[in-house]
Amino acid sequence: MKQVKRLLRMHRIFVAQELKRMMEYKGDFIVGIVGFLLGQFFNMLFIWIIFSQIPDLAGWTLEQVVFIYGFSLVPKGLDHLLFDNLWAIGHFIVRRGDFDKYLTRPINTLFHVMVEKLQIDALGELIMGIALICITLPAVSIEWSFVKVLLIIIAIPFATLIYTGIKTATAAIAFWTKRSGNITYMFYMVNDFAKYPVTIYNNTVRNIITYIIPFAFTAYYPALYFLTGENPWFNVGMTVIISIIVMVIGVVIWNKGIKAYESAGS
Amino acid sequence: MKKKLSIYMPFINAGMQETTTYRANWIFMMLGNVLGCFVSYFIWNAVFISSGDSNMNGFTMPQMVVYIFLMFLTSTIISSGGTYDIGEEIRDGSIAMRMIKPISYNSTFMFQELGNKFMTCCILIVPMVIGVEIVRTIFIGSVQFNILGFLLYIVSCVFAYLINFFFNICFGFIAFIIKYLWGANMMKNCIVGFLSGVTIPLSFLPKTLEQIFLFLPFASLNYTPVMIYMGKYSGASLVYYLGLQVFWVLFFWALSKLLWKVALKHLSVQGG
Repeated sequence: MKQVKRLLRMHRIFVAQELKRMMEYKGDFIVGIVGFLLGQFFNMLFIWIIFSQIPDLAGWTLEQVVFIYGFSLVPKGLDHLLFDNLWAIGHFIVRRGDFDKYLTRPINTLFHVMVEKLQIDALGELIMGIALICITLPAVSIEWSFVKVLLIIIAIPFATLIYTGIKTATAAIAFWTKRSGNITYMFYMVNDFAKYPVTIYNNTVRNIITYIIPFAFTAYYPALYFLTGENPWFNVGMTVIISIIVMVIGVVIWNKGIKAYESAGS
Repeated sequence: MKKKLSIYMPFINAGMQETTTYRANWIFMMLGNVLGCFVSYFIWNAVFISSGDSNMNGFTMPQMVVYIFLMFLTSTIISSGGTYDIGEEIRDGSIAMRMIKPISYNSTFMFQELGNKFMTCCILIVPMVIGVEIVRTIFIGSVQFNILGFLLYIVSCVFAYLINFFFNICFGFIAFIIKYLWGANMMKNCIVGFLSGVTIPLSFLPKTLEQIFLFLPFASLNYTPVMIYMGKYSGASLVYYLGLQVFWVLFFWALSKLLWKVALKHLSVQGG
């Protein structure tokens, strides 16, 4: 318990430090957010143009597709906001020999890396995601219930963990290879599959994003439960179970990597 | 000419070595991008099935497959990292080191990138084009490959690369205003991606918008080469679009020279 308290206090200190840094470069902070907002905006334009020419997409209405898309941005944005520093491990921190600093400090390395940075750019995704959910909510005709709202609120942090776990695992590969940023990138591109209803894919793709690189649980399955109320055990329950498995795998690889790590610095 | 080449040869070499040193990293990035193509493929597949129409805005499904994968190939061939390089150097002041050397600033970038490109093209073009053509042949039932179209595509890609190169150099000067290059670059990529037809073929847009976008320099980046490859431009329109590409090359070349002159006046380097 004392340990947890200590970590939480550290977290606060790191965040405060980050916020100070950000206030110094106010312009940049807006550029980053607008950058990510624009990216999502053009994707929406794409979906909208397509729907202006077809009645529905494999049985899904425009609002449903946008709802799933918007939902996918929330866990993605949360992970991006809180744990973005993991990207930097694979891209340059290890390669430049800067990782040594984490090893010399009396806190868990993974925890330190994760909380060191707050990536405000992610607000672009979060704002867009929440806006899309709010805009489409009236049109997707959901039957509200207390259990449903509760389950969705539970699903979101776990869906976020899927991202964090995959990022941890792929970033840790850099401990052996010095550079793994693009492996993370590759996994993230798989994530694009999960922004759309998985029924538009063939079985191979569907199985890959459900069981092998389980990004479908970051958006489609929880959103499906929200839309239809069907199968909470699978749609939400599996999200929780899979996210825990992914995170555990990530931590195990990370710890193995730390043992194998030889500094690249000079 | 020979002397010039011998000056820049080391830069070409450096570019080639850079690519080969981090080849595993490069391969993963390409694999990631190919996965992105498959996402588009499945979306379009669902779109064509849902529309019940075999031809949407001049595209059939096999043509759309060619379009998606060639867009990826073209973007890779013509990509240019000038924005980042020049921006970073303005920021950290290392641009001063470039200015005291008796070689052209732009050319060093370009030659380094050409080395890089050479490796990329060797590895990518052949398998991509063969792959696309095999798929197309299976879909349609006869060989569609047109050697003249392919050669014109390559020519158009060269122009597109030059436009992109000089455009990115110009954009790099934004580092004087915005410190956060990564964010600025991201904004630029989103806008260019849409205007150049990577997100959606321009013919899917309302007609007036399409006409405007076709004239803008961005369509000359990705859209024109791909349309040429697909045989959508021929005769007068082919000449027109290639001419437009040349115009934009010259335009951004001149603009980059001008901005360079202006920038020199405003540049102040601390320390270094």
